[in-house]
Amino acid sequence: MAAVHFTSCNKLDTLPTDRFTDENFWDYPENAEKMVNMAYNQLFSADRLWNDEALSDNIFEGRSNTDQRAIRNGTADPTLGRFGSEWSDLYGGIKTCHVYLENVDRVPGLDAALKQRRIAEVRFIRASLYFRLVNFYGDVPFFTKDITLEESKTIPRTPKATVMAFIHQELDECMTDLPSKDALPADDRGRITKGAASAFQARAYLYESNWNKVLEYCENLIKKQAEFGTYALFDSYPDLFTAAKEYNSEVILDYAYVPQLKTWNKLYDAAPISAQARLNGYAPLQSLVDNYITLDGNTIATDPNYSSDNPYVNRDPRMAATIVFHGGQWTDFDGTVRKIFIKPGSGGTDKERLDEYQGASANASPTGYYVKKYYDQTATVKYDAGLNIIMFRYADILLMYAEAKEALGQLDAAIWDMTIKPIRKRAGFEAAKALDFPTSGDLKTIVRNERRSELALEGLRYYDILRWKAGKTYLDGQVLGAKYGGNNSYIKLDIRRFDESRDYLWSVPRTQIDLNKNLLPNNQGYSN
Amino acid sequence: MYQNYIRKKEIAYLLFRKLWLIMRLTTIIILVTFMQVSASTFAQKVTLEYSNMSLKKIFKELKSQTGYNFLYTERQMSVAQPVNIKVKERMLSDVLVQIFKDQPLSYQLDNKTVVIRDRPQATTIPSSAPSAAGSDQETIKGRVTNERGEALANVSVRVKGNESAGTSTATDGSFTIRNLSPKATLIFSSVGYDQLSMELASMRAEDLAQLQVVMKSSNSQLEEVIVIGYGTTTRQRLVGAVDQIGAKTFQDRPVGNVTQALQGASPSLTIQQKSMDPNDNAMNINIRGISTVNSNAPLVVIDGIITEGGTLNKINPDDIETVSVLKDAGSTAIYGSRSANGVILVTTKRGRQNQKPSVNIGTQWGVQQPKILFSPVKGYENATLRNLALTNSGMDPQFSPEAIADLYAHQDIEQWNLPEIMKNSFQQKYNISVSGGGEKSSYLFSGGFYNQPSNFVGQDFAIKRYNLRTNLSTEIGRFKLTSILAYTRNNNLGNTAGSAIINASRLPSYYYYRMRADNGKYLVNNALTDQNPLAELNEGGYVKNDNDYFNINLNLEAKLLDGLKLRGIFGADIYADHRFIRRIQVPLYSDPNALQPQVYVNSDRNTEDFNEKASLLNFQLLLDYDKNFGSHHVSGLIGASNESYTRRQNELKMKFTDPVLGTPTTGTVIDPATARVTPNGTLQNSINSIFGRAGYDFESKYFAEFSFRYDGSSKFSKANRWGFFPSGSLGWRASDEQFMSWYKDHVGSLKIRSTYGVLGNQAVDDYSYYFTYESYPNSYGFNNKPVAAAGFNYASLDLRWEKTYNFNIGLDATFFRDKLTASFDYFKKRTVDILMAPQIPSTFGTSLKNQNLGEMNNEGWEINLTYHATTGAFRHQINANMGDSHNKIVAMPGDDRISTVDNITKLTRVGLPYNSYYGYKMAGLFQNISDIETSALPSGITAADLRPGDVKYVDRNNDGIIDARDRFVLGNGFPRFTFGLTYNLSYKDFDFSMFWQGVGKRDMMIRGELIEPFHQNYSYAIYQHQLDYWTPTNIDGQWPRLTANGSTASTNNFGKDSDLYLFNGKYARLKNLQIGYSLPKGVVSKLGLQRVRFFVNAQNLLTLSKNSWIDPESSEFDSNMGGSANSARNYPTLKYYGGGLNIQF
Repeated sequence: MAAVHFTSCNKLDTLPTDRFTDENFWDYPENAEKMVNMAYNQLFSADRLWNDEALSDNIFEGRSNTDQRAIRNGTADPTLGRFGSEWSDLYGGIKTCHVYLENVDRVPGLDAALKQRRIAEVRFIRASLYFRLVNFYGDVPFFTKDITLEESKTIPRTPKATVMAFIHQELDECMTDLPSKDALPADDRGRITKGAASAFQARAYLYESNWNKVLEYCENLIKKQAEFGTYALFDSYPDLFTAAKEYNSEVILDYAYVPQLKTWNKLYDAAPISAQARLNGYAPLQSLVDNYITLDGNTIATDPNYSSDNPYVNRDPRMAATIVFHGGQWTDFDGTVRKIFIKPGSGGTDKERLDEYQGASANASPTGYYVKKYYDQTATVKYDAGLNIIMFRYADILLMYAEAKEALGQLDAAIWDMTIKPIRKRAGFEAAKALDFPTSGDLKTIVRNERRSELALEGLRYYDILRWKAGKTYLDGQVLGAKYGGNNSYIKLDIRRFDESRDYLWSVPRTQIDLNKNLLPNNQGYSN
Repeated sequence: MYQNYIRKKEIAYLLFRKLWLIMRLTTIIILVTFMQVSASTFAQKVTLEYSNMSLKKIFKELKSQTGYNFLYTERQMSVAQPVNIKVKERMLSDVLVQIFKDQPLSYQLDNKTVVIRDRPQATTIPSSAPSAAGSDQETIKGRVTNERGEALANVSVRVKGNESAGTSTATDGSFTIRNLSPKATLIFSSVGYDQLSMELASMRAEDLAQLQVVMKSSNSQLEEVIVIGYGTTTRQRLVGAVDQIGAKTFQDRPVGNVTQALQGASPSLTIQQKSMDPNDNAMNINIRGISTVNSNAPLVVIDGIITEGGTLNKINPDDIETVSVLKDAGSTAIYGSRSANGVILVTTKRGRQNQKPSVNIGTQWGVQQPKILFSPVKGYENATLRNLALTNSGMDPQFSPEAIADLYAHQDIEQWNLPEIMKNSFQQKYNISVSGGGEKSSYLFSGGFYNQPSNFVGQDFAIKRYNLRTNLSTEIGRFKLTSILAYTRNNNLGNTAGSAIINASRLPSYYYYRMRADNGKYLVNNALTDQNPLAELNEGGYVKNDNDYFNINLNLEAKLLDGLKLRGIFGADIYADHRFIRRIQVPLYSDPNALQPQVYVNSDRNTEDFNEKASLLNFQLLLDYDKNFGSHHVSGLIGASNESYTRRQNELKMKFTDPVLGTPTTGTVIDPATARVTPNGTLQNSINSIFGRAGYDFESKYFAEFSFRYDGSSKFSKANRWGFFPSGSLGWRASDEQFMSWYKDHVGSLKIRSTYGVLGNQAVDDYSYYFTYESYPNSYGFNNKPVAAAGFNYASLDLRWEKTYNFNIGLDATFFRDKLTASFDYFKKRTVDILMAPQIPSTFGTSLKNQNLGEMNNEGWEINLTYHATTGAFRHQINANMGDSHNKIVAMPGDDRISTVDNITKLTRVGLPYNSYYGYKMAGLFQNISDIETSALPSGITAADLRPGDVKYVDRNNDGIIDARDRFVLGNGFPRFTFGLTYNLSYKDFDFSMFWQGVGKRDMMIRGELIEPFHQNYSYAIYQHQLDYWTPTNIDGQWPRLTANGSTASTNNFGKDSDLYLFNGKYARLKNLQIGYSLPKGVVSKLGLQRVRFFVNAQNLLTLSKNSWIDPESSEFDSNMGGSANSARNYPTLKYYGGGLNIQF
């Protein structure tokens, strides 16, 4: 009887076959490693980098009314999606860290030294997530152990300063448990190191304008390389951001992607359309272009040879490494080097015309510029890139050092020569005026603009503007694109608004306030 | 205490396990042993010799001789005449004819039951011609058929006033009566048909030569067999809210599947066809509205076996005998934990005993025409308006006057891309069935083929369904074995161009936006980039499904004692699904002469292979009891069942495969993160049940019923596993009361019925009560080597069943001598312990699974009317039905739940219907600057940003600013006042039918490029229906002034989730229209056939709706009101024109 074959019926207690339960998960050291990997996964992402950049004056999102655009245009209210998603993503990462920290002792047979190191890595990640939280929201719910559901409903906000103090303390403690980059075996490249912890400390103090501490932690990396790892500026600025040169001498910590298997594809919507991009969602702004000095070491305002009708010649080579402008070069996936035509009516073939500026909200760039930095020539179709995203690099250390020195009034030729000069030299400047300690101009502005040029499209600009309290200067008023507007004017885009009394912090998400009244009062300028 | 409790639970559990084992063994043993058994059968022939004996005694004697049950009331017996009879070894049917010839009663044979009823009024065939005198003694031959021309066997033919002359019809419906007076009157009677008398004197001579007798189905329908859970009942006894839909609804309609055919067939059975794409025929089925925030999909039972909902559409609609829609607790509680959303019971056709072989062949052919409901403006107009939008926002115009002139000059060669990717398709359907039966057995074999090609151009995209079915039953003594074996193959060849419609429709019709050059090269342009839909449809590969479904249904019935039956049932649904996806790269060129492709469609050349095997095994053991004690009728049922579901899957996805073969090659990547091996896709669940029903009725006038189910499910932890779901029903046939006799004689019948019960819903994921850790490959990398990461899922330890308290009161009535049948039901449901994800602060760091949190009410009503009438040679049948439901969240912890997708916001709030539309209300458009300056504006927007023609919003709280607190509840998307209207008309050999279906009230929010001209991110077009925008000379325009997207004014106008996006979704649609012609009998019989019918039909011929540019049936909602925002990117509405042929022999 056929029926006999089918008579096995399932029991009422059926166990999942493709996952662990709490009973057995922590029995295996490999699983503990997987939880650490999850913490790494939640540390950062290419999305975060580009979305942070879109909050700044470097990038314009012309395609749609994104949350970043709403923030910049001053129309965001506490219900804004990104206010909620950042909050929840970051606390999600913190949860992963806590779950690891609280269960790792259950794991049998774990090597004690490795465990100590992993714990330090996870604590670094937790500190990093809290750092991002306080940068956006100021005072935030703060806890160092996994909280219960009940606690999460009542937990109040802790002053930012307390959280920052914790971050500093954690990083100091982790530093001792973390290895130097030089001690890492090749297969561990990408793991958090002593150097990364020190770089993070420098950045954390930088955001507090605690200049002496910035100097201290930068000096760890500049002067104590035997202990903190050997770092140096990499030879080529454009190659810094290529797959071929991943983990180069300048990288202190990067967020890992793996070719074909863990990829990101933001440039699918940022590269020139003729280069097989889909459309332009992230376009560089004229303001960034104008920030680059000339090869002669002048700003465009002071350079007598500069013409706004022929603006791309004789400029800081980093501009061409970061941005695609009209007449600029692009190297296709197959290695072909082509000129890009953006000026309306300039393209000679249909293909060339694909990149031409066609007005706002077309597939082509609404600003007249495309993105080049982080273009991964080894990416597969649709710009699926395995290229790592750099979180900390040595040039940043040098620039922080210069900025701190300047703030303390100690930026002299000697400091300049060990910080900005090598950076400019590496960028390709040769003129003495560009390389030597400036004799004219405002040093603070020079240092800040240098920082912008060097670190453009690396996700740091927004935070710099906020900590400089320079929102009104950089994030207010009409956004401009290239000079393809009517009557030979610059393209006029959004009118941004920066409310000095409000926009240095984000709103606590509306949903979170509804669920936990102890989060009130909201940050200034946002409704409760 | 606790220990004891646990132990008791364990003992109970062990007992149950034993019981299942016994049950399964019993089922198998019964199945095996019946083969050897050959007990003597109950005699069909009877011998009686009585004079002046009471009818009741006769029945008793007949019962002992034949085993037939006799169903009667004491009142009937009190009016019965004494019987004189002397027969020897005569067929029961003949004997019954004799016994009843002088009784004021008639009878109906139903399976093994004889139902006694009051004799209906005899209808008389009116004379249509002057009488033709005949000779003194005649022999009359004739044939009896039903209205469909099918032969009727065992019809009693009596001669008025001459009781010895009677006979009954043979299996082919023929009869012969000799020695008849030409003035005699013949009386024909049969179960389920109105009695018919014929005066021979009034007949024409040529008619008398071969009498054609057409018997009409009994209108009262009281004896109609109604399929209910685990059994059947009659219309008369039915106390639950059950609609039964007959085979006619499914036959001869060009529908793709059963669900489509059910649309509009029963009140409060709401079916929404979200897309007409045959390859993606997404449909919702809902009975009586929304009672939970989880799935509201009904349980589907096919031939007594609970199955997966999707199986419904694997059945050949032409194989369906009836579909019962069980709506209330009284009828559904026997399905316990899964019955809260109602139950759909499908019974497939089977052969009948004593039926000569009958072959039915049916074919249908037709054309499906895609109707695109919106259209773009001319190219130059589009460019001009685009410029206007830009300059209105202070931006530079995009098109120079020369460019516009160029577009103007080329308007005659403009083509819009959307019609270019659509075509008419030719649909075909073929069915054949052979059925019949002998004295002890019956059989049915059927085969069907359905083919509906897609309306997309390109490859041969289509769905094809092949059905085979055998349905056999054999009686061996006390045993009856029924076996159903069915096989379905669904082949679905779909395209890979998921965005074909949006990509084709969003481009303006500029003449230079071409998808393909004259030389055949596919093109890329600055608006389409790498998404050329024509290239992808024509050459971009396919998604190919070939799904097998095999259904085994073995049912062994044994008569144990008088009225007691044991049934063992084994059912197996076996699914084997296979999906193969090839994404083939197609080069696109930047211009027709380019040598190198610019980009490729499907550049990653995916090949995906997916296999799934699933089996749903079902064991049931049922004990049935049914007996009359005088006027008391008692029935009972107790059963136990186990259902075990096991699913296994594996899947492989590869990128960069060989461009020609799709096989792995140099550079091919296999992503372990998306690959599945058997343990990944394995799912197992099981449900054990005990269920039963006890019914009692007195004189078929007072009815009481109790039913229950006790379910234990693997989806819950031991402590919460078992749930008890009882229901009680009461019914009263008021019109059978003595004091209502006037009413009965002058108005019709009246029955009142009511049920109350507790039903369950187990919309729970498997394994929810375990805290689990999952592994995610390729989550991070060190040194460019991928590593896996682990994530965790919190358990919902305390998970319990959702429970629905369900009250129903109904009324069945007939009017005008049963010409009009009406039923009305009112229901109220209250669902508690609704599974909802708790709203928890993000600081907790993870989400929690569903918990038993919510409470919801749902009430409504439905009405069903059927009217039969005959005017001259015209016979009319009209069925109209309508239903409505209205739900309300009664309790839920935490605050409002608000979800926004794009510009559409849904709100779940206590006191409101689930997932109501929520948003800002427009206070019209600003007409002047001072109005802008003095009005409240959205936060972040200043008066300087706006101009007349921009949207003004209602400042609900009058705080001078438009923010989240100014939102209103705007409406609800669930269809209300759903209705169906069927009109059947027959005239001589012609028949006509018309079927309307619609929704009386529905709010519909639609966003996207069909609302906002030049919609951000996608559209560069403005469509005809958007031209009524505000301008200084069109200040009453429906839409705001044109602005460029991204501008602050555009953010104000289109960036808010407001009632700008709200539309009236009511509609009425002529779903089906059919005209048929049957060849006259004489012609047919000369051909050696029984019946030949031709017909033409049409579908979706006419739609009445408020919005011309969108199909009103399209909806974003799935069975739990979820789903993404409706962007109106619909597959075009299909209109069908076709015809077909039915042959029976």
